[in-house]
Amino acid sequence: MIFHSLDFLAFFIVTLAAYWSLPMRGQNLLLLAASYLFYGWVHPWFLLLIFATTFIDYWSARNMARRPEQKLAWLWLSIITNFGMLGFFKYFGFFAENVAAVAASVGWHVPPAAFAILLPVGISFYTFQSMSYTIDVYRNHAAARTSFVDMAAFVSFFPHLVAGPIMRATNLLPQFERERRFSAAAARDATVLMVWGFFKKLVIADNVGVIANKVFALESPEFPVLWAGVFAFAIQIYADFSAYTDIARGVAKWFGFDLIRNFEHPYLAASPSEFWHRWNISLSTWFRDYVYIPLGGSRVGAWRVATNIMITFLASGLWHGASWNYVLWGAYHGALLVIDRMVGSVWSPTDRARRSLRIVQVPAMFVLTCIGWLIFRETDLPQLIHHVQLNPWGASAPGVLTGSYLFLLALLYSVPLWVQDLWAELHGPDLSAAIERAEALVSWRRTAAQAAVCGVMVAAIVVLRSQAALDFIYFAF
Amino acid sequence: MVAAKSTISLCLVIVGALVLPAGLRVINRFAPAAGVAPSYLPSIEQPRVREPFDEATAAQLRESRPDFVVIGDSMAGTRIVPGHISRMVGGRGVAALLYPGSSVAYWYLTFKNLVANNPPVRAKAAIFFFRDDQLTLAFQRVTPGSLDRVARDQEPVLDRVLAANALGTFAGVHRAVQSAYHGERTREWLAPLLAQAPARIVAPGEDPKTFLESMNTTQFSLETLRKTTVADLPESTEESLDFPGVVGHSLLPEIIRLSETSGVRVAFIRVQRRPTADGPPPQSAALVKYVHDLREYLAEHGAYFQDEWGDPDLPLSIYGDGDHVTNDARIPYTEHFFQKNRRLFQ
Repeated sequence: MIFHSLDFLAFFIVTLAAYWSLPMRGQNLLLLAASYLFYGWVHPWFLLLIFATTFIDYWSARNMARRPEQKLAWLWLSIITNFGMLGFFKYFGFFAENVAAVAASVGWHVPPAAFAILLPVGISFYTFQSMSYTIDVYRNHAAARTSFVDMAAFVSFFPHLVAGPIMRATNLLPQFERERRFSAAAARDATVLMVWGFFKKLVIADNVGVIANKVFALESPEFPVLWAGVFAFAIQIYADFSAYTDIARGVAKWFGFDLIRNFEHPYLAASPSEFWHRWNISLSTWFRDYVYIPLGGSRVGAWRVATNIMITFLASGLWHGASWNYVLWGAYHGALLVIDRMVGSVWSPTDRARRSLRIVQVPAMFVLTCIGWLIFRETDLPQLIHHVQLNPWGASAPGVLTGSYLFLLALLYSVPLWVQDLWAELHGPDLSAAIERAEALVSWRRTAAQAAVCGVMVAAIVVLRSQAALDFIYFAF
Repeated sequence: MVAAKSTISLCLVIVGALVLPAGLRVINRFAPAAGVAPSYLPSIEQPRVREPFDEATAAQLRESRPDFVVIGDSMAGTRIVPGHISRMVGGRGVAALLYPGSSVAYWYLTFKNLVANNPPVRAKAAIFFFRDDQLTLAFQRVTPGSLDRVARDQEPVLDRVLAANALGTFAGVHRAVQSAYHGERTREWLAPLLAQAPARIVAPGEDPKTFLESMNTTQFSLETLRKTTVADLPESTEESLDFPGVVGHSLLPEIIRLSETSGVRVAFIRVQRRPTADGPPPQSAALVKYVHDLREYLAEHGAYFQDEWGDPDLPLSIYGDGDHVTNDARIPYTEHFFQKNRRLFQ
């Protein structure tokens, strides 16, 4: 089931009405049933996978608590099962294809795998979330839970199930274990968040997505056209992914849950390390805590730190998809971070100089991010090489005009996004931060502003939603 | 007290979100209204600006009065050379009414308005080229305005069929939203304004509409696209392959009925999709069953049907991108098609 469908609207209203009429245990059971309905709506067999993940991790954690001397073995069971499922459903085709290619290069022709494996949507998100629970139990950061219903509801919680944010057991599980009370103030702010999310998805992401798709359908776009397409994709992926997070957070809030913020105006970052503190925060902190730090993190020598960064980012790239361009994208960002650290170790400007430099650094970082998005979006490697070799000065006049037109059109659709981000950065707290203070006293001026903004955004959705209904990009991961 | 205030503020936000968009109706009164007319699909569309009916083609057909008409999308376009068939049938007229990216709704209107109800055109046969389950996908490739050039001011049959297929269970909700807010009407004038605004900056001296048309035809023409995009390879779904379940809601019965009332014989050619190096393209069991049911249905209604699947004379070597046939193979294909379907031209 997808958020931007009337199926979901009906599902949401019915579930919500039933939810607030039940006691806590009943609420958790209802959330579990609703989440399984949500996830199995199109492909009911996906439920077997999520159930298997949940059961293995629940059982592993229980056994870690019962037999502390076997903790490591149970942890390995959880890790192997989760990575095994992820590896089979997400990477088997990629692996088989590459083995066949390597064999062919030495004259041994292996027939490609005869079956295609359907990637279960959201599997990368819920396996990571569920695995974080067993790792945290192993590390004694969390207690092994006795209630299977709570655990299953935690793994499958539908608002963020298919595209995050990836929640930690230490954060979300306790929310399932305490009484929740309906708060009209939280529901009001959640409504604003959801409407803003739908606006970003249907008006901004889907409209600029059409531009990006158009450009990336070209055999050999000229330089300005290509980069206008990359710019459009940069807007699309941010609007699309952050829209999903906003809707997820809004929906969760209606049910009395708080999901973490996943984006902090990433295109206003002034350096690669700042970018990763602002972009897909739940994933980057997952890799930091469960890959980078166990590898030694920053407490080792400079070369080891660089190696740790590269390993973490290569893994993060591969997490996004079974394709070499994602690995390259990870390597690219890893390299940027390594360079950033090297520069930081030999040059530390004063605070004043740092503030002045931001004017240059933020656009420069945005350009570097866009180069990364080119690698991310272009799944055809020969085509990517062709793009990288394009001569900026060799474009024809129609090419320049077309590129300029597409860039301005993408910019036009993204104005609300930039305004919101700049406003939040300069004036704060932004809309999302305000919602963190959900129980704030009612301010009629604020309510009026929220009602007006919601009305305008709904009108914009009714009028300007894209004719091309595109899936959320991160559903593919 | 705080709880009551919070509840009121929640209600105000929801009411604002639902009521303020009704202001679009007021804004529309001041918007440019030229060309707005009731849609020929009133059940699923609000009044809007529409492209005029293609009178030029209709007049050309009235003048040439072809005996045979080929209707379809790029599948027919890359396969058939109408002039060559004409030569093979002793100079009798053969017209091609083809539109890339079109589908059955477009073909139905083409057949109805340009062939069957366009006297004195009196074609002997209309030959439809299609892939797999296209004939029963009433809503495939139907977007606002995409049928304008072949639609008359009123198309009650098409309206009924599309309305029955429209948007599933929640069609009524979509219609209610449109009728409450008149959003489509606003879209008619606002979307072009937004699309043209950057063009006014980039090419200030030029008419923005002309600029956009020229950009689309030069920078994004079929020749500039990647082969995988040009190939256009739609896939069927399990639901769409349930022939008995879908035929009643499709336009196929209407095409047959039109054939019977107009006396124009209809022929349906299922083109073979891209084969593999080892033989014909693989087919699911559901697709085999669908084609079997389609064959029986058409035979029962006296329509001509030819399935190209498995034809050994259509090997992979004649295919270009995707399901299209190469330019070099068009004449040989046309001859092969004529020989195989000779009785259709008698």
